[in-house]
Amino acid sequence: MKRMLRNAILSSALLAAASVAVPAAAQDEAIYIPNLAYRTGPFAATGTPLMNGQRDYITLLNERDGGLNGVKLEYDECETGYNTEKGVECYEKTKARAVVTQPWSTGITLQVLPKSNVDKIPILAPGYGFSPMADGKVFQWAYNPPSSYWDGASMILKNISDGNLDSLKDKKIAFLHLDHPFGKEPLPLLEVLAEKHGFNLVPIPVGLTEMQNQSAQWLQIRRERPDFVVMWGWGAMNAGAITEAVKTKYPMDQFVGVWWSGHDGDLKLVGDQGKGYRSISWSVPNSEAPLMADIKKYVVDAGKSQINQGEGEFDSVFYQRGLMISVILVEGIKAAQEEFDVRNPSPEQLRWGLENINLDEARLKELGAEGMLVPFSTSCADHTGHGGGWMLQWDGAKFVKASDLLTPDRAEIEKLEAEKAKEYAEANAPWPVNEECSM
Amino acid sequence: MEFLNDILIKPFADMAAAPDFLLQVLWEGLVGGVLYALIALGFVLIYKSSRIFNFAQGIMVVFAALTLVGLYEKGVPALLALPLTLAVMLVLAMTIERVVLRPLVNQPDIILFMATIGITLFLIGFGELIFGGENKVMITEQLFIPTGSIVFEPFGGFVSIEEKDLTAVIGAMVLVAALLVFLNKSKIGRAIRALGDDHQAALSVGISLSTIWVIVWFIAGVIALATGIVWGARAGVSFALEVIAFKALPVLMLGGLESVMGAIIGGLAIGILEKLFEIYWGQPLLGGNTEAWFAYMLALLVLLFRPQGLFGEKIIERV
Repeated sequence: MKRMLRNAILSSALLAAASVAVPAAAQDEAIYIPNLAYRTGPFAATGTPLMNGQRDYITLLNERDGGLNGVKLEYDECETGYNTEKGVECYEKTKARAVVTQPWSTGITLQVLPKSNVDKIPILAPGYGFSPMADGKVFQWAYNPPSSYWDGASMILKNISDGNLDSLKDKKIAFLHLDHPFGKEPLPLLEVLAEKHGFNLVPIPVGLTEMQNQSAQWLQIRRERPDFVVMWGWGAMNAGAITEAVKTKYPMDQFVGVWWSGHDGDLKLVGDQGKGYRSISWSVPNSEAPLMADIKKYVVDAGKSQINQGEGEFDSVFYQRGLMISVILVEGIKAAQEEFDVRNPSPEQLRWGLENINLDEARLKELGAEGMLVPFSTSCADHTGHGGGWMLQWDGAKFVKASDLLTPDRAEIEKLEAEKAKEYAEANAPWPVNEECSM
Repeated sequence: MEFLNDILIKPFADMAAAPDFLLQVLWEGLVGGVLYALIALGFVLIYKSSRIFNFAQGIMVVFAALTLVGLYEKGVPALLALPLTLAVMLVLAMTIERVVLRPLVNQPDIILFMATIGITLFLIGFGELIFGGENKVMITEQLFIPTGSIVFEPFGGFVSIEEKDLTAVIGAMVLVAALLVFLNKSKIGRAIRALGDDHQAALSVGISLSTIWVIVWFIAGVIALATGIVWGARAGVSFALEVIAFKALPVLMLGGLESVMGAIIGGLAIGILEKLFEIYWGQPLLGGNTEAWFAYMLALLVLLFRPQGLFGEKIIERV
């Protein structure tokens, strides 16, 4: 009897201790950051350095600072192979603990976009996804800072026309793009601008199985003789296009790509022959920055990075852009921690955080990343920030900054964003909008 | 009326108006066709000898090319890396025969097909682990493949022929000729064909199934390496090369799964016709990218009239 009583008391005490310990443990639990990554498949060559960058910034914070405000960050990858169906599976698999979704493909983004209203998990798609996501009132759970694809297309046109789009009148611009939601994304804006400014837009799609043999597309370019070729390429398509451009002897200084078409690895294939090729970019690599010194010390030299040092990945545009993507996310988490005075913010609190990012020049300098990312800030109405971008140019061995900060023609884009956001909300009715946002 | 003109007259008028451009289109089609034929050949050889549709042929192309470039990056001279890669492909063939195929002898075809999907997944993971996912530069110059271009000026225009494409075409022709001689004239070649005709009969006259399978998978590995070098020289070596295997499927449908000749003629026909269709009909009338489906449409049309493909064997079974 005595023994039974003792056991009962002991069990009760253990239970009580456990019930007290649970909230404390939950509070100390790491912030779970899943990434729908692709290190395999046809897009692995471009995906891998980006994922390495994202991962290494989180590792740096955990190693150098013990996490973020004392809480560890748990970075976790779910492999999608850039496949939309697998991406949706990964979303479903990780959403229970996720504080954010990083879908990593415009196709996957479009699939999880309607789910975000139900699951109430913010989608962070830096520099990709559906451009009208900039309209925070309609897309209250989706973010695509610091520049959208439409911003990118606008900046490219501004740059090639020296700031005067009317000078493009009667000129021919070939739009070489992946035949995929990502590649088609800027088309609505380009069509509007072509009509308004009188240039002739020639869309040239490249199928997934044709990425490495684009001879038909480049024969068309030879026949059409466009004044400029604008490329929205990804993965193996970039390397395929650049080698064909060299083969066709298309002038490289008239060939411009989006930020995902500016990968060192693709240009290294042609080396000197690719000299003059440009790519708009909202990030610039700077291996001398204090942040990079810390990455080297705490992550790379400590053997905690997966980068391929022999291939110069550390200095590459994509690796350092991957770092910047995590910088953006962490700034959002930090804003949420401070606003709500919590260590481990909920997805709903992170939504506020992502709406209140202020990565100005001073903050970037504080982070040791001055000049590596365009300065921008978000709000409940503006989920992109529209920080703009710089033109990077291939000098035969590496990409170098070749312009001052460019900004998109927002007046034109805003109209289209509002129109397409409204169209999307109507097509997916009932679509909840953020009525609390008064901006 | 204008529509009919666009379909029936304008394309031919365009061809006549710019004959140099037409020649360029035909050349690009021929190069594409040779490359498709090479991939299809890998499938045909394995199917012919073992009735296995080798889903892993695409990833074998990637694996062979990555091994070659990977060895070179590790400091092995290019001319040594080439035989070493062949040795790796031989080891791979022996391993596949011993670990995957031998335990599955006499299993239904679908089981063997599923096993090749397993091989594909294994090679993707294994390749990633060893070589990483980055795009690598094919060691074209180190293998003494010329990289310049030859420019002709026929009809007042110009036709540019890449020397590496020309090398690819000649190399593929030599490889195919050697393969045909090997299959038709050598003892092992006859054994391979005998196995393809009737497993039981071949076994009863003492042909070793396991030896032939190793040889056939090794030859498929050699073809994969040749394909990998040629495609890799065009747009780098990465896992994206795996996608090109899909281009072989319509070639196989058109040419027939068992016919070496079918793979060659099917590949060339699809390469040239899809390029002509894309340039003169697809781009002006359908917004381009018809190459993604044209070959399948063509193959389907052929299948309507010849279900066994152009050169496939007509199977008549007594029931």
